[in-house]
Amino acid sequence: MLGNKWLVFVVALVVWVAVFYFIDKSIMEGQGLPVGADLMPV
Amino acid sequence: MKLSRLLALFAAFVLLFAPELALAAADQAAAVLEGAPKPSRLDYPMIGGVSGRTVVWSAAQMHLFLAAFVLAVPLFAIATEFMSVVTGDDRYDSMAREFMKITMAAYSLTALVGGGLLLSLLVFYPHLMGYMVKVFRGQMLIYAMLFGLESITLYVYFYSWDALRRGNRKWYHMSIGLLLNTVGLTLMFIANAWVSFMMSPAGVDPTGAVTGTVWEATRNPLWNPLNLHRFLANIAYGGAIVGGYAAYMFLAEKDPEKKAHYDWMGYTSNFIAILGFIPLPFAGYWLMAEIYAYSQQMGITAMGGILAWLFIIQAVLIGTIMLAANYYLWSGLMRTDRGAEYAKYVKYIAVVVVGGFLVWLTPHTLILTANEIQNLGGTHHKILGPLGIMPAKNTAVNLMLVMTFLSFQLFYRSSRIPTVSWAKSGNMIVVALYVVGITNIVSAGIYGYITPTVYKVGASVPQVVSTLTIIIGSVLIDVFRLRGSKPEKVYWGRMTNRSQYALFVLPVAFTWLMGLMGYIRSSLRTNWHVYTIMKDNSPENYIPTLGDAGNVITAITLGFMAIMVFVFWLSRLGQTKQKGTEDAA
Repeated sequence: MLGNKWLVFVVALVVWVAVFYFIDKSIMEGQGLPVGADLMPV
Repeated sequence: MKLSRLLALFAAFVLLFAPELALAAADQAAAVLEGAPKPSRLDYPMIGGVSGRTVVWSAAQMHLFLAAFVLAVPLFAIATEFMSVVTGDDRYDSMAREFMKITMAAYSLTALVGGGLLLSLLVFYPHLMGYMVKVFRGQMLIYAMLFGLESITLYVYFYSWDALRRGNRKWYHMSIGLLLNTVGLTLMFIANAWVSFMMSPAGVDPTGAVTGTVWEATRNPLWNPLNLHRFLANIAYGGAIVGGYAAYMFLAEKDPEKKAHYDWMGYTSNFIAILGFIPLPFAGYWLMAEIYAYSQQMGITAMGGILAWLFIIQAVLIGTIMLAANYYLWSGLMRTDRGAEYAKYVKYIAVVVVGGFLVWLTPHTLILTANEIQNLGGTHHKILGPLGIMPAKNTAVNLMLVMTFLSFQLFYRSSRIPTVSWAKSGNMIVVALYVVGITNIVSAGIYGYITPTVYKVGASVPQVVSTLTIIIGSVLIDVFRLRGSKPEKVYWGRMTNRSQYALFVLPVAFTWLMGLMGYIRSSLRTNWHVYTIMKDNSPENYIPTLGDAGNVITAITLGFMAIMVFVFWLSRLGQTKQKGTEDAA
C-alpha cells in the first residue's frame, strides 16, 4: 500500500515543504513582518 | 447548641467588634492615597551579624523548591490515576499512590519552610510586608484559607486511596484529586501575583498609592507569563524529583521484581519531566519578551548586563539536563531485544545534542584582558562570536529538543512491531517531516543573521512552531502506524546503574537551575523592593558578585538535595518491616 517508499518520501518532502512554508509565512505576516521587505541592505 | 443561642452569640460578637471594624475600614479609606513607605537604612532591623537578605533568599528559594514539588506531583498523580481507569492497568494506580506518598513526606516541610519565610520577611522587611498587605488586602487571607483547604484535600486524597479505589468510588476519589489540584494551582497563581507585582506593579500610582483593585494588582503585566512558566517548570521539576526517587530505590533494591517496578517508575517520571521541559524554553522566551516589553532597562539588566553571564551557566545546566535525559533514554534501548536496531542512530543524536550544547554556552561578549583583545583583533571572536547571539542559540535549543523527542520515539518504536501494510511508507512520511522541519529550523536561524532585529526576533516563532509540528505530527502518524501493533517484551529492570545516576542528575541540575533563574528574576528589581515604586534602602540593596550569588545558590541547592534524600529515605523506611514480624502482623 502507498507504493514505493522512496516515492512516498519524495512526495512527503514536497508536501511538508509546502506546509512549513505556509506556517512560516502566516506566522511572520501575523506578526506584521511581511516576507520580502526583510533583507538587510548589503 | 440551639440556633437561637448561636444567633445571640453572633449578635454579641458583632456588637463587640463592629466599632473596631468600622474604624479599621475608615483607616483603610484614609490610607488609600498614601504612597509606598520610604524606609531609611535604620528602619531595617539588624540582628547581630545576620544577613537578612540571605536568610529571606534561602527561605524563599527552599520554600519554592518544596512548593513546586508538592504542587506538581498531585497534578501528574491524578493523570496517572486516570490512566489506570482508562487502561484498567492497576500498576498506574499503585504508582500514582507512590507518587503521593513522597509528596506527603515533603508537605509538612513545605509548610514549615513557608512559615519560616513569612517570619523572616516580617522580621527583616516589615515595611515591605506592610505595603504588600495594603495592596493585596483580603487576598492574603484567602491565601491562608486556601492553604488550609489544600492541606485537607491533600490528606483526604491520600488516605482515602484504598477506601475509594474501585467502581464509581474511584471517580469520587479523582474528584477530590481535582479539587486538590485546583486549590494548589490557585495558591501558586496568588503567590505569583505578589512576586510579579514586585517586578511590574499595577493598580498603584507612581508614588505607590493604591488606586486600583486587588484584581488590577494581581493581573499585572508579568503575572501570566510567570504563571505559565512556573506551571510547566513545576511539572518538569516534579517529574525529575520523582525520577530521582525511582533511581534511588532502583539502586537500593535487591529484589528483581521491585527493581523492575522502580525502573518503570523512573521511565515514566523521566517522560513527565521531559514533557514539561520541552515547552519550557518557549514559555521562558515569552516571559523574557514580556519583561523587555514592560521595561527595556530590566530586560537589558538580565540579558546584557551583570546577570547576562548567569545565562551561560543556565545553558550549561540545561545542556546537562538534556545530555542526562538523552543518555537515560539511550540506555533504555537495552530494555527490548529490538533496541539494538535503533542504537545505531544514537551517535548522530549525540552529535546534535552535544553540538547544540556547545553553541548554547558560547558567550557573545568575552571577559578579556587588553592583551587578549589585541591578539583577538576585537572583543568578539571572529568564528565563535556569531554563535553567541540568539538566532544560533534558538536553533541549537530547538534542535536539542527535537533530538530528545527522537530518543523517546526510538524507545517507543523498539517496543512495538507495526502490522499495518503501509508501515514503511508511513515511516518515510515521518522521516520527511524530520528532514523538512529541521531544515526549516536551521534556515530560520540563518535568516536571523541577514535580517533586521525585528525579523530576527520574529523568526524565532516559526522555529518553535516547527519543533512542535515535528513532535505532534510524528506522534499522530505513529499513533495510526502502530495501531494493532505487536508488542515487544520490555525487560523492565534491565538497566545499568550508570543510567540511574543520569536519572539522579536531573533533579540536581533542575534544582540548581531553578535557584539560579529565581535569583536572576528577583535581582532584576535591582535596588527596588517594588520596581520603581518602593526603594530598597537596606544595607544589602546591591546585586552581589556572581561568585557570592553562586555560593548562596549552591548552598541552597545542596540543602534541598539533602532534604530530598531524607524524604526518599523516609519513604523507604515506611516500607521496611522488621524481620520476623511480617507473619505476626
